[in-house]
Amino acid sequence: MNYFPDEVVEHVFDFVTSHKDRNAISLVCKSWYKIERYSRQKVFIGNCYATNPERLLRRFPCLKSLTLKGKPHFADFNLVPHEWGGFVQPWIEALARSRVGLEELRLKRMVVTDESLELLSRSFVNFKSLVLVSCEGFTTDGLASIAANCRHLRDLDLQENEIDDHRGQWLSCFPDTCTTLVTLNFACLEGETNLVALERLVARSPNLKSLKLNRAVPLDALARLMSCAPQMVDLGVGSYENDPDSESYLKLQAAIKKCTSLRSLSGFLEAAPHCLSAFHPICHNLTSLNLSYAAEIHGSHLIKLIQHCKKLQRLWILDSIGDKGLEVVASTCKELQELRVFPSDLVGGGNTAVTEEGLVAISAGCPKLHSILYFCQQMTNAALVTVAKNCPNFIRFRLCILEPNKPDHVTSQPLDEGFGAIVKACKNLRRLSLSGLLTDQVFLYIGMYANQLEMLSIAFAGDTDKGMLYVLNGCKKMKKLEIRDSPFGDTALLADVSKYETMRSLWMSSCEVTLSGCKRLAEKAPWLNVEIINETDNNRMEENGHEGRQKVDKLYLYRTVVGTRMDAPPFVWIL
Amino acid sequence: MEFSNSCSSFSSSSLDSTKPSPSESSVNLSLSLTFPSTSPQREARQDWPPIKSRLRDTLKGRRLLRRRDDTSLFVKVYMEGVPIGRKLDLCAFSGYESLLENLSHMFDTPIICGKRDRKHHVLTYEDKDGDWMMVGDIPWDMFLETVRRLKITRPERY
Repeated sequence: MNYFPDEVVEHVFDFVTSHKDRNAISLVCKSWYKIERYSRQKVFIGNCYATNPERLLRRFPCLKSLTLKGKPHFADFNLVPHEWGGFVQPWIEALARSRVGLEELRLKRMVVTDESLELLSRSFVNFKSLVLVSCEGFTTDGLASIAANCRHLRDLDLQENEIDDHRGQWLSCFPDTCTTLVTLNFACLEGETNLVALERLVARSPNLKSLKLNRAVPLDALARLMSCAPQMVDLGVGSYENDPDSESYLKLQAAIKKCTSLRSLSGFLEAAPHCLSAFHPICHNLTSLNLSYAAEIHGSHLIKLIQHCKKLQRLWILDSIGDKGLEVVASTCKELQELRVFPSDLVGGGNTAVTEEGLVAISAGCPKLHSILYFCQQMTNAALVTVAKNCPNFIRFRLCILEPNKPDHVTSQPLDEGFGAIVKACKNLRRLSLSGLLTDQVFLYIGMYANQLEMLSIAFAGDTDKGMLYVLNGCKKMKKLEIRDSPFGDTALLADVSKYETMRSLWMSSCEVTLSGCKRLAEKAPWLNVEIINETDNNRMEENGHEGRQKVDKLYLYRTVVGTRMDAPPFVWIL
Repeated sequence: MEFSNSCSSFSSSSLDSTKPSPSESSVNLSLSLTFPSTSPQREARQDWPPIKSRLRDTLKGRRLLRRRDDTSLFVKVYMEGVPIGRKLDLCAFSGYESLLENLSHMFDTPIICGKRDRKHHVLTYEDKDGDWMMVGDIPWDMFLETVRRLKITRPERY
């Protein structure tokens, strides 16, 4: 390769798109590093505090697409206070100043303000794609800036964000000349929607392939929207209340039949029971179905719909489908690759739930299954052993037994052997979430067998520090470790400090880690940010006579090349 | 056998609604049970099970609105010309067929859906709007939403 001119090498690199591969290429030699950095267009930063905008721009001056992630994963479950951090403003400011030709911005768990959105919309002429996932801090005014100023906007994809809805006219801010939309997802908006503006927008967007509506879009509007966008591939239905006006319903049925390109269906945020049958005619084409918010629909209706969906590859559903329903899925959806079953009853004791039987049925019936997230009431080791035998191809296996510390409900044993079977059989397992009664033994198995494991979530598990040590010593590819309510302490934390250089981050909350332990860690590893999040009075930790031995509420540590961050709120103490 | 620091009293099988004891080893003020429960139901934690806020809110809202599981729907059933009626739980049936079967048994005569004629007892119903309609035209579940009472018509006489 030394004999090729740079342009040829660069051309070869164009075929290498994955971040991992490009990172690897850049390490080969100085020449490749240089060529690679000037030709990299898409940059992925898994932790926005691991680096800073200046370093990003210095290394990749030609970047067109940036992905940034902010808060740790457990922020999704209210474990991280809102003001913790993850602000996108400094990034946008730096990018705007540098005049880089940004076209795409994807943010996850970050704080986005209207000011940021306004700046974004005005700074990049070719800006095309904005994807915000689980972000917060902005309002529909920010969306209005994006709509008004981004002339070539292709994607506006808002997934599960906390947006302050000013019931504005943001949809009417799209100029009449805007005809380039491909994706429009505003399902998470809670307020009213200007239906006229929406219909006009959809009508003048011939390339629109993905449309996800919010609650405020009623059935008759849906029918009209679908009629003028029969090219739709991905549809998020908003409110789907049973309209006694049969004319609306007939129009909807007619419109649906014309949408022969429809492959993905979601939404049904407010749905009446027998509405789903209108979609039966196109079900045989569906590859993705997300009914996880359709809390009003009974299991029997879900089953009726799924029986038509023979090509389904991805299914997200509530546990109201029941074990029987999962058996129907197992016998119908032979192409199924990803399944998520969410709980429909938070208080527990419900009879509309799924058990180990549903999981076993799925594993037996769906040979292509590689990703599962399963909330259930109970589990057994025997079932997990069977699942492992049926599905050795799991890449992601996340099991959440709703009651913490619940043992095998038949034998009353811990579920160590069951999870052990999973990690032993599934050689490609990259992500694992544990639950139920678990001792240190399960971690021994994980350390021994889970060679490809990159992300591990632990809750209410283990007996001693040995458990955590098995994982840290054994899982060579570990990137993200998150632990809550487990008895792991300073010994495990401090055993091998260099391990954290190979990981993106470690989260420990309600564990046995002490303040002095964290301080010692911070001393040994200056290249780590060791954050103590303590919503109670931080000063109390110092003043207390038992200072060092006091347990730390929440610990979040991550490798970084830019040292302590300057934007931490008062309750975050960076050691 | 030692159990790990646990909320083992956080059990869905426990019948009493006392709060789970905070885990011994950590002071979890952020998880403090600050939601006074006015109902006899157990309080829900905000951080367990690990689901996103959006789903949590959706399910909470649903709990307030939904009817109890296995709802029953008792409606009056009259045979035309007979002053005393019966009562029937429509939720006990899976569809029109089982409904007709049961009614036929109850009134000791075959009953059908469909056009009135000289031979058969035909089943009709009063809907939400107060109109009398032929049973069997709409999907079963839609029927359950709208039916108020049933009437079995006698064969037509000329």
